[in-house]
Amino acid sequence: MSSIAAPVVEQKTSVKAGGKWKFLIGGLIILGVIAYVTITTFDSTAVYYLTLKELNAQRGSVINQPIRVNAPLDKSSIQFDDKSLTLKFNLVEGKFVQPVVYKGVVPDTMDKGESVVAEGKLGADGVFYASTILVKCPSKYESEAPGSASQ
Amino acid sequence: MADFALADLGYASLLLSLILALYAAGASIYAARRNRLEVFASARNAMFATAALTTLAVGVLEWALITHQFRIEYVALQTNRAQPLLYNVSALWGGQEGSLLFWAWLLAIFTAVVLVQNRDKNQELIPYVITGLAVSQAFFLALMTVVVDPAQTGFFILLPFMPHGAEALVGNPFRTLDFTPRDGNGLNPLLQNPGMFIHPITQYLGYVGFTIPFAFAMAALFTRRLSDVWIRTTRRWTLVSWLFLSLGLLFGMQWAYMELGWGGYWGWDPVENASLMPWLTATAYLHSVMIQEKRGMLKVWNLVLVMMTFCLSLLGTFITRSGIIQSVHAFGVSSLGPWFLAFLALTLLSFLYLLFDRIDDLREENELDSLISRESSFLLNNLILVGAAFATLWGTIFPMVSEAFTGKKVTVGAPFFNQVNGPIFFALIVLIGICPLIGWRRATAENLIRNFLRPFVVLVVTAILLVATGMRDWYGVAAFSVCAFVLATIAIEFYRGILARRRQYAENWAAATTNLVTQNRRRYGGYIVHIGVILCVIGIAGSTLFQVETQANLKPGETMQLKQYTLQYEGLQIYPTENHEVIAARMTVLENGARVGTLSPEKDFYSNPNPDMAQWTTEVAVRTTALEDLYVILAGFDNKANTATVKVIVNPLVVWLWIGFGVLLLGTLVAILPDPREARALARSRVKEAMAKA
Repeated sequence: MSSIAAPVVEQKTSVKAGGKWKFLIGGLIILGVIAYVTITTFDSTAVYYLTLKELNAQRGSVINQPIRVNAPLDKSSIQFDDKSLTLKFNLVEGKFVQPVVYKGVVPDTMDKGESVVAEGKLGADGVFYASTILVKCPSKYESEAPGSASQ
Repeated sequence: MADFALADLGYASLLLSLILALYAAGASIYAARRNRLEVFASARNAMFATAALTTLAVGVLEWALITHQFRIEYVALQTNRAQPLLYNVSALWGGQEGSLLFWAWLLAIFTAVVLVQNRDKNQELIPYVITGLAVSQAFFLALMTVVVDPAQTGFFILLPFMPHGAEALVGNPFRTLDFTPRDGNGLNPLLQNPGMFIHPITQYLGYVGFTIPFAFAMAALFTRRLSDVWIRTTRRWTLVSWLFLSLGLLFGMQWAYMELGWGGYWGWDPVENASLMPWLTATAYLHSVMIQEKRGMLKVWNLVLVMMTFCLSLLGTFITRSGIIQSVHAFGVSSLGPWFLAFLALTLLSFLYLLFDRIDDLREENELDSLISRESSFLLNNLILVGAAFATLWGTIFPMVSEAFTGKKVTVGAPFFNQVNGPIFFALIVLIGICPLIGWRRATAENLIRNFLRPFVVLVVTAILLVATGMRDWYGVAAFSVCAFVLATIAIEFYRGILARRRQYAENWAAATTNLVTQNRRRYGGYIVHIGVILCVIGIAGSTLFQVETQANLKPGETMQLKQYTLQYEGLQIYPTENHEVIAARMTVLENGARVGTLSPEKDFYSNPNPDMAQWTTEVAVRTTALEDLYVILAGFDNKANTATVKVIVNPLVVWLWIGFGVLLLGTLVAILPDPREARALARSRVKEAMAKA
């Protein structure tokens, strides 16, 4: 009797082991797909994050590429046309001056801004056309302030 | 001088709390190892004393905030005399130091509650639970009392009575100035919104709450008591914390919607992601524990999920508090970042060490039977939720990682998160519908066909109706018909249960419904939560896919048009309020030519004794109906010419997002209420564990 029972038990465990592999492979495929989608989407939506200096160094090659620039704001250069909601200002870092144009609702903290993170594209005319701006206030001000806007 | 004494009292109680927490952490383990009951009692009492002392510290700081003790730097930074009381009170969590105190206080209170709840239960686990909670407590207390900025002192840890100690204590909420300012800076006007009161409280309750299940998980690992006793014991802690994380998301979204003024409630900002990630892993945990309870499986996975939730909560605090990542909701830059990372690393390493050391005690009691079973659909939902959390984490912290390795900074924004998480969440919603239809262990083909036929018909009919009524956005058609499918499956589940009760007990409809839910609170509470989630999805899909907007510069009497709405500009109204000046653009709203009301979007000016602190804020005006929100922003004005530039957005179905959260709250409450079935299950598990140990 024992010689008959043994193979049955063996068979049962091997089915279960096979089941385990099935789940492992299934899980790995799903995680693989998620990882693949994450990485490829990351590559296709990645935005270079540049300082003004880096932007200037690569000026020719980044025209019309999505870019995020972080640089000090020249507050005296801020101009706002309330009719067309066009905001113009300069980012200044050392000897580099970058004019930025943004259309839309202006962040309330704009006039307090020490620096600005602008996301958008550098036009062939040398002007940076921002679709989103994020204003950074002086840290002493502890501005836990939601100070951003996008088009 | 009163403020000086106050500050000393506050600081002293925190320092004493730190010493007591450290004592409790050590004494508790010692007591358990040597079986010294009187030492254990003293460790317990030390934690109660910590709760009392941190409550005292919170009381002192609140008193100082309300009575304008500007000698205390935190009070001078966060409040001023003109600020309404509500915001002086909520200034407790308005800044970094206060938030640390708030965290430590909540944890201390939670710890005390756990100790009272378990005064005669789980005596093997509790000493180690105390150690875990006390270590976590000590971390936050140390940040406030002994940790300094190494850039200032050359040391990492210093006491205030050492040279430069007092000024260099970066996290001390009771740091004093060497003069008393006549007035304080005040909370940033942008934070002066009811959201400021409710959002951080709920968010922190959720974050801190997950410390409890994690401490039990660590204690279970430590003592090798790895049955489902620790899970069932912390079930309601988990649910309550999850509920608060959900409410934190809700109030954060509402606040952003009303205050940021860009017409949305979610922008995939790092700080927003920080609150979403622990919610995702916690949601996975809520589901996967059911498999451990029912089948004794996924033990390692559950431990990992609760660890991830705790670590992501810490990471969330780190991201919001350190200023390390550029965020819309930018917080002041802080030098506490490395401490958070160190604590995170310590937590992770000790967890992994215990996990690998105890891996033999974590053997599964059963194996999965079939690919098409309730278990495997739960597994799939877990993979998807954790996948979404990791994709979000990747997009949030990759900029830091990539800069550290390549020196090049690359970032991603909303398009990345939408493209990755869109399909992931879509799959998740489909699963919400499918999961309850599949039986445990192994589902048969006829059972599947029988269960799926009617919901599938609902899906197809909804899709046809949407296309027939002119919807050509295929994402929209897919999203709404899948939502209809899921709602149909849940409705059928309820209908079947009610029908069965009517047959079996001859109950009327109302009694059958009530009894169905109350006698299996967990299951039907869960279904109600699912209904809430689907309503949220309907709101999100509607407002994301079908938003339209326009803007115009108007003179008084001129109108603008968007969809069926006509807005007529009546002119600017300028008037002062308690602490700010209002400039409002009065707009008469007509829908299909009929007058339905007025909307007055505002620009408010908060003056301040310190001209650098004076600030504008934008207050949107919203008209909400079941179908859509009419969202109006005053984007610019010229008070001499009496003209205004107005941006108008129509956000379809937004209100269903808020209603969905309401339903989710209701469902969670149903599941949280005492359930005799769960109590019996816990008692059985205790007996089983005791027998296995004996």
